[in-house]
Amino acid sequence: MKKRILLALAAACAITSAQNYDILLKGGHVIDPANQIDGVRDVAIKGTTIARVAENIPASEAKKVIDVKGRYVTPGLIDLHAHVFGYEGSIWPDDTSLVTGTTTVVDAGGAGYRTYADFKKKVIDKTQTRVLALLNIAGYGMIGAKSENNVADMLPDKTAEVIKANRDRIVGIKTAHFGPPGWDAIKRAIEAGRLANVPVMIDDKIFTNSGRTSREKLLDVMRPGDIHTHMYNDRQVEVVSRFNGKVLEFAQQARVRGVLFDLGHGAGSFLWTVAAAAARAGFFPDTISTDLHSASIMIQESDMPNCMSKMMLLGMPLKEAIMRSTMRPAQVIHRYPEIGTLGEGKTADIAVLALREGVFAFKDSWNVKRLGKQKLENVMTIRNGNVAWDSEGRAYPEWNTAGNYEVIR
Amino acid sequence: MKRGMLLAFAAVITAHGQIYDILIKNGHVIDPANNRNARMDVAIIGNKIAKVAPDLPASQARQVIEAGQYYVTPGLIDLHTHFDAHGADLNINPDHNALRNGVTTAVDAGSSGADNFEKFYAETISKARTRVLAFLNIVAAGMYGGQVENDPKQMQVDKAVAMVNKHKDVIVGIKTAHYQPPDWIAVDNAVAAAKQSGTVCMVDFHEKPGRTYRDLILRHMRPGDIHTHFYGRLTPQLDDNKKLQPYMNEARQRGVLFDVGHGSGSFWFRIAIPAIQQGFLPDTISTDLHKGSIMIPHATMPNVMSKLLNCGMTLEQVIERSTLNPAKAIHRPELGTLSEGREADIAIMSLDRGQFALLDSGHGKLTADKQLRAVLTVRAGRVVWDSEGLAATDVSRAGPYSNFK
Repeated sequence: MKKRILLALAAACAITSAQNYDILLKGGHVIDPANQIDGVRDVAIKGTTIARVAENIPASEAKKVIDVKGRYVTPGLIDLHAHVFGYEGSIWPDDTSLVTGTTTVVDAGGAGYRTYADFKKKVIDKTQTRVLALLNIAGYGMIGAKSENNVADMLPDKTAEVIKANRDRIVGIKTAHFGPPGWDAIKRAIEAGRLANVPVMIDDKIFTNSGRTSREKLLDVMRPGDIHTHMYNDRQVEVVSRFNGKVLEFAQQARVRGVLFDLGHGAGSFLWTVAAAAARAGFFPDTISTDLHSASIMIQESDMPNCMSKMMLLGMPLKEAIMRSTMRPAQVIHRYPEIGTLGEGKTADIAVLALREGVFAFKDSWNVKRLGKQKLENVMTIRNGNVAWDSEGRAYPEWNTAGNYEVIR
Repeated sequence: MKRGMLLAFAAVITAHGQIYDILIKNGHVIDPANNRNARMDVAIIGNKIAKVAPDLPASQARQVIEAGQYYVTPGLIDLHTHFDAHGADLNINPDHNALRNGVTTAVDAGSSGADNFEKFYAETISKARTRVLAFLNIVAAGMYGGQVENDPKQMQVDKAVAMVNKHKDVIVGIKTAHYQPPDWIAVDNAVAAAKQSGTVCMVDFHEKPGRTYRDLILRHMRPGDIHTHFYGRLTPQLDDNKKLQPYMNEARQRGVLFDVGHGSGSFWFRIAIPAIQQGFLPDTISTDLHKGSIMIPHATMPNVMSKLLNCGMTLEQVIERSTLNPAKAIHRPELGTLSEGREADIAIMSLDRGQFALLDSGHGKLTADKQLRAVLTVRAGRVVWDSEGLAATDVSRAGPYSNFK
């Protein structure tokens, strides 16, 4: 009896094994921190999901075989801090994120409880990129001081209500650019976070007259799991002392109590001097993110591979840079292991990265450059099982052997 | 005598007393408008090109950009884009899609019409750092899908002419596109509006029974009007044996212009390569960049130029058709040139050698050995894109900087 079942199973396998997969990424170096894989593996995709990650999956088992030898294959990158709605500098994600290997972007506060429906209709429902959201505690979102300083419209209960009704897309709360003194914006954001049981991301400029200090914020006000973004900024003394260049003790203590530190590169929040001082003390970001918008995409080129390359230039190993751009951000927004992994059965969101050798310039917010010898570049993106980007033409045949083709899929 | 000497002396002082804001050193300058094709320096003062000549002294410049490894050309002009970023869905933002690709002037190809051009102007054109010009759609409602684009009532010549005349500084012509009924109303009205406003007409055309491509380019379009997407599949430019149709050169002789307009459906190696082999090159190179074409066919200007380069065109031909020719086509001779006194719009490009893959609109691949890449862009005298940090200070020489000392 047992034997017969085994035979039947074997027969079934033999039949289905003929072109069982739609796409097979062959010969790449897979780095998938979630599954402790760091070596040459093949990745098989069936429909929209990852079917198998293993050594030497036969090419005959797939309809389309894509040679990715010499490239790193990782989970699709997750950008924890992007701007794709509301904010004046917000940009369309597909041509900016998907092209750079980022299959999930988290919009950091573009919409508030009043404008989320509009965000969903105009962006979330239309993009190929998976767009998630941190809902701004300000009702109208990140549309300037009129909204972002208006404490009267920072309503934890309304905000939590919209989050609870849209858990498929809303993963947390954002507060940013709060001008008046005091803790109103931050405390209300955290109250909403408590009501909806989600993390809060805080972008806060601390000034001497702001009536709030970094120490209090990081040690008393923020909860474990809340995210301090723009960690290598210079307008707020929060990680590195400007007097002696050392990482502040309370920043270290905050990390121990579970406060998370996010890169949030942006146009104004990455300084070589600050980052290098922090890196010397091993104070790296928990999560690598871009704060990509219409300004930071220009001179700073703060896309994900650029930010990861900068972290590597500061001494972070490649594997670590990938972990902090995939698995870790997924965990931070409570979406792991749904995303950020190449686990079998998960959505096929994949980045194929080239590690270029040469001499490259990496610029910070003051147009100061550091030269490095390695640069990560995204060459292929698979989103939901579809080839969405392919700058090396690995997925397609030569034009003169392809016949009278329409669009080759 | 004395006076002559004084004048000569004054001239010397002027020549030697210039302080350049930016000096681009040692680049290979290709500037077809001025027949320049040699190693030269380009000096910028304020927002203008001050001087283009060999061996300008670095000591006279506030900032020197070493461009010895690169080509230096006029800022690229993309004659066919969709940058009405707050308009219909397919549009994208001009600045990061143009400036990062060496494009300093982008011409929107009919995304808006007389009913919504003002909105386009207020929300995008007037705010962009890229110089955005426009072809006004003959369809008053603009490029918003079949229903309006096929409705002859939308194609009122007077209304379009009035809008062009109101915005002559940025509207350079009239566009017609996507018209399906088998008559000539869209083309004829667009051409009439161009004629009455003293501008040119850009035509996107689908051949239909009773409405032939031959008649379009030999009878309905005027000399100076532009057929875009001419390496596309909707117009018969080659016969069944891939031989160029005789009416193509006939139309060219009478002055009709042919524009690439790559897009997500209009550039096919199986059409472009035989046409180029038979000597039928584009008059102007353009992208038809929008949400679709920017993805897999990756139709940015440097990429479309690279495709044509690897199809057999020379670098000089490709640059001429991306700078001087589009400027002429839209009657803007002040653009597309590195002439002294003109606005300093400059592209610095790398011609990379190696193995590359370029994909056409159907994703067919051309394995290529050269690829152009936009390395640095100057727009109105300002460095707006600098992927190799040529204009950036190295951290070791930056001293204490920023708010963090």
